[in-house]
Amino acid sequence: MSDKEKRGNPWALRFTTLGIVLIPVAVGINYVGKLFASVLKLPLWLDSIGTILAGMLAGPWIGAISGAVNNAIFGITVDPISFWYLITSIAIGLVVGYFAFTGWVSNIGRAAVLGIIVGAVAAVVSTPINVILWQGQTGNVWGDALYTVLVGNNWPVWLASFLDEVVVDIPDKLASVIIGFLIFKALPNRLVGLFSGSGKDVESI
Amino acid sequence: MAVIEVSELRYRYPNTEKLALDHISFSVEKGELVGIVGSNLSGKSTLCAAMVGLVPHFYKGAFGGSVTVSGMNVREHSVGEVSRKVGLVFQNPFTQITGAKLTVYEEVAFGLEHAGVPREEMPRRIDRALSTLGLADLAERSPFAVSGGQMQRLAIASVLAMEPEILVLDEPTSQLDPAGTSEVFRAILTLRSEGITVLIAEHKVERLAEVADRMLAIEKGRVVAFDAPARLFNRADLAEHGIAIPSVVSVCRSLGVSKEDGSLPLSVSDAAKLLESAHA
Amino acid sequence: MRLSLYVEGDGWVHRLDPLTKVIIAVSAIALTFILTNLVANGAILFVSLALLTAAGALRRALPVFAGALLLALTFFIIQGLVYPGNRTVAVAAGPVALYREGLLVGLHLALRLYNILSATLIIVLVTHPTHLVEALVRRGLSPRFGYVLMAVLQIIPTMADQTKAIMDAQRSRGMETEGKLWTRIKAFIPLMGPLVTSSLISTEERALALEVRGFGDNARPTFLREEHIPGYGIVLRWIALAALVSGIVMRWGFGWL
Repeated sequence: MSDKEKRGNPWALRFTTLGIVLIPVAVGINYVGKLFASVLKLPLWLDSIGTILAGMLAGPWIGAISGAVNNAIFGITVDPISFWYLITSIAIGLVVGYFAFTGWVSNIGRAAVLGIIVGAVAAVVSTPINVILWQGQTGNVWGDALYTVLVGNNWPVWLASFLDEVVVDIPDKLASVIIGFLIFKALPNRLVGLFSGSGKDVESI
Repeated sequence: MAVIEVSELRYRYPNTEKLALDHISFSVEKGELVGIVGSNLSGKSTLCAAMVGLVPHFYKGAFGGSVTVSGMNVREHSVGEVSRKVGLVFQNPFTQITGAKLTVYEEVAFGLEHAGVPREEMPRRIDRALSTLGLADLAERSPFAVSGGQMQRLAIASVLAMEPEILVLDEPTSQLDPAGTSEVFRAILTLRSEGITVLIAEHKVERLAEVADRMLAIEKGRVVAFDAPARLFNRADLAEHGIAIPSVVSVCRSLGVSKEDGSLPLSVSDAAKLLESAHA
Repeated sequence: MRLSLYVEGDGWVHRLDPLTKVIIAVSAIALTFILTNLVANGAILFVSLALLTAAGALRRALPVFAGALLLALTFFIIQGLVYPGNRTVAVAAGPVALYREGLLVGLHLALRLYNILSATLIIVLVTHPTHLVEALVRRGLSPRFGYVLMAVLQIIPTMADQTKAIMDAQRSRGMETEGKLWTRIKAFIPLMGPLVTSSLISTEERALALEVRGFGDNARPTFLREEHIPGYGIVLRWIALAALVSGIVMRWGFGWL
């Protein structure tokens, strides 16, 4: 088994300087993803790749914090709405970090499954926020169109809202996790080992 | 009085089999300027990291022997504590900018704030560090809006503000252009004249030979030689150990020209004088 | 590019310390959720806008407001069409009808949206992010966390600049960035990959540089700058908190608003 699989307890607090430094870089990667996606006019957001990589490298806690900081900062600087979806980003970081650190994500197929799981989780977490804030709308054209049709046909608001969100989240997170996985696999083993923070003490020789 | 004392230092990175540092022993006196030379994987950077405790505290792995700097045993203190006595400057000017401060002035204050230095003390230290490195006019600029050489001097200034006794530099000019390189070497000489002990790992052997009191030559984590540059470069076996020699030295060797004491000249001007008198 | 919408200024709003502004903004946002009365929500919006104007920041706020207009409009339309409590028709055009109840809900949501935006902008436009972070660290926020927040603000513009250079370089190598969807999708990884990988690799160097500046010890820091809280700032904090408390009491104590 390579170093990338046995990486220690997923829930260990990896708050070393290295883990801390990863957080702003993860937010930067989120931003760059969103930027390239919009320049290439892709129908996906691709704005969580940094959070995903943070989770893969340093575990669920750093992943979650990266997500939280991402939304907090963007909320305060350019897009006040994103602040309220902090919890969704935290959830993404937690889920990816946990699965990645247990060594479960060993090939692309599993990464794809993780992507779908993350998409579903993101939708589940975002739905209450959408409902509380704006009656379940999401601001996304396709999703809201679906919402309008469903609620117009007397579907419950929360269900319509969930589907509104899921229809966009699953493809987006599927792509993001796969891309994150490919980049992660290409990183030098030594670096991945440094992030895992073996927690082992210095051996004496 | 030895300000750096390294005894039988051994270190192995995690998940590796070979020792990166293999029973290294040497000592450095206060105020000396020591150059560290060796080929790329010789262990220069690892040795520099060991001077501040990054080896072993940051990298973990396996550690043996002892490193004592300014009276502190590196194994028993945090990197933060050792950093107040020993500064370390790295190759890449860009990644040494914290990114948490908006002006050059505040950037220098970063280490002071984290060390809990009293506010009244800070302006004096910052001003002194900036002027020593010739950065006083850039104080209000963004730390990213400066040239490579200036950024590297900023990194040195930031470390200098902590008022360390020892300054270690790990290939500080390898990412700089010739102008930047000269700026940094000039700054190092200024620091040395203020009594700071300096250790520099470098590839630019010529420039190092001009300024160093002694040179530590390493290969595969072992000390090959530790001597004054003139005597060190006289040795015929350096090339086998992957140690680069200043071109002046190898030219003079092949011409069979040497100084009265048998050593080879280190600078072009010395060599020129020797060649003239040899023909006289 | 600077990652902040901060507007320079020296008026009394600017001179308020960051924490006071945060208290005001948080109270305003909390109230907009607590109070369902439309007039009350309008009043909160009025106060926020007044503060923004007093700070000379209103003009910078307009693009943000304009950007949200479309979203606000969708609230009206969608809720007007399908809100479950719809009964009375307000406007009808053939088979499609907008209902009064839905429109009012839409108005409420729109007011809430603009309240959130304005309150947040009081912080964003009138407070320098570094002052805000420092104010938090002074009061106990971990200095490591303070570092994270500040570093984000600087690292992002740096990476944004790099993206432009990368796009130009890759295009000049013949990479297609326009055309069919699949073509564009294929372009994504060669653009993202190198930049992301090099940023991740550089984290090691960054961490080392911070460690030798004492960052790893995570001790309570001292501060280069001194903090100034103007007298009227304390007064405003109390007013904001009083407003919040009265809002809570009026809504849940008396059932008004």
